Amino acid sequence: MSKLHYDTVVDRIADTLVTASTTFTPDQMRAYAHCKAKETNPNAGWVLEKLIENAEEAEKNALPLCDDTGTPHVIIELGKDATLPGDFLPAVEAGVAEGLRRLPARAMGVLGDDKERVSQKKGLSDDPGHLAMAPLRIIAIPGNAIRVTVLMLGGGPELRGKTLRVFHKHNFQVVLDEMVAWAKEAVALLGCQPAILAFGVGRSNFEASSLALEALKNADFDVQTDVEKEITDRVNAEHIGALGLGGDTSVLATFVKIGAQRASGWRVVSLRTECCVGPRRATCEF
Amino acid sequence: MNVTTPLSQDVINSLTINDQILITGKIYTGRDAALPKLIELYEQGRLAENGISLTGGVIFHTAVSDAGIGPTSSNKVEIEESIPLLSQAGIKIHLGKGKLSDATVAALKAHGSVFAVTPPASALLTAKMTHKRVAAFPEEGIEALYELTVVDFPAIIAIAHGRSIFDR
Ligand code: SF4
Ligand code: SF4
Repeated sequence: MSKLHYDTVVDRIADTLVTASTTFTPDQMRAYAHCKAKETNPNAGWVLEKLIENAEEAEKNALPLCDDTGTPHVIIELGKDATLPGDFLPAVEAGVAEGLRRLPARAMGVLGDDKERVSQKKGLSDDPGHLAMAPLRIIAIPGNAIRVTVLMLGGGPELRGKTLRVFHKHNFQVVLDEMVAWAKEAVALLGCQPAILAFGVGRSNFEASSLALEALKNADFDVQTDVEKEITDRVNAEHIGALGLGGDTSVLATFVKIGAQRASGWRVVSLRTECCVGPRRATCEF
Repeated sequence: MNVTTPLSQDVINSLTINDQILITGKIYTGRDAALPKLIELYEQGRLAENGISLTGGVIFHTAVSDAGIGPTSSNKVEIEESIPLLSQAGIKIHLGKGKLSDATVAALKAHGSVFAVTPPASALLTAKMTHKRVAAFPEEGIEALYELTVVDFPAIIAIAHGRSIFDR
């Protein structure tokens, strides 16, 4: 690996944030085209067509897929033979701020002290880059690469997310049924359907929601496990539909990441009800 | 179907739920912050002195930022509450997303106005916008009342003449 320069890292991370905010991956475009082709409700078909046109327009003109440009989240995958300079994390942070300005993102950073930021009494910063990134996660991988994934998480899915213990009764199906029940409720309320469901199953609230985010990082719309497909199909049977207008496409795909578990009668499940422009994510490698 | 603002009552009467429309002309924007203030101006009879004409108009429930435009949920309290009064004031199409209450469906019918929805397709919608200017309440920033000029802006009629696309 070549020596990492601060400015190079800032620039690459900024570009990655813009890519995350303005493009769908080819597999996601295929998933949309597939759903559009088999949609039986004309209104929902119209919505899916507009969402495909939106993705084309966004990529062509480097425009945000949605004007809620989201909160930046970062996952670093660190090769075991890689060397990470001490200024790498500050460079990632500066790159995120630069990317928000380059996009430009909606200026959503809240000003003030603790209480003022909660009440939003002091108003907002004019600088899109003021929106600090969420605490990051580092995952060990083989080799000497350093991969950085930027995910832009919008507000709608945040309102429809849920992290809670589920008593498993020593039966996987019990947990799966609960996940489906959560998803049906969340997707009906989302507003910006079709949803992309991300589940993490772990031992703590922190671990479960980290796993859900990791599931979105890894999302490949061409690959669905039996469990993922079952969840998608059961929620789609509700016919909530694109933009809530009915039809066959309430959920585009589901991504589940099951982590280590511990001896107990419960599991912690985390659901992120990602929306029709999600998962806005892109990866760069150093 | 193509419609041009300002809209006549005849055009509105000809629209039914499930119609796909393309809107061309000037439209206003507003959401939680601006709409209650707009109603205040209307109730005080001060729209004209502020250069605002709602007759035959469209209100799009969106913020307007450098990141573009896109519908917010129209069933937020301040937004949904604005629909009956702004219909009375002359607005013919309320444009946003989400299911509205039976009371709002009835109010739209009573005033001869409709509700249309559009997807959160910001890149696409922003490309349909040829001009924007702040029409009132600049202190609200991205939530100010904007006047946009749009060409072939896509929407679908969701509530009209007492019927709602969301009733299933
Ligand atoms: S839920 Fe998603 S598509 Fe809808 S406004 Fe939020 S970020 Fe945009
Ligand atoms: S059993 Fe121990 S760890 Fe668990 S809640 Fe009680 S004191 Fe805490």
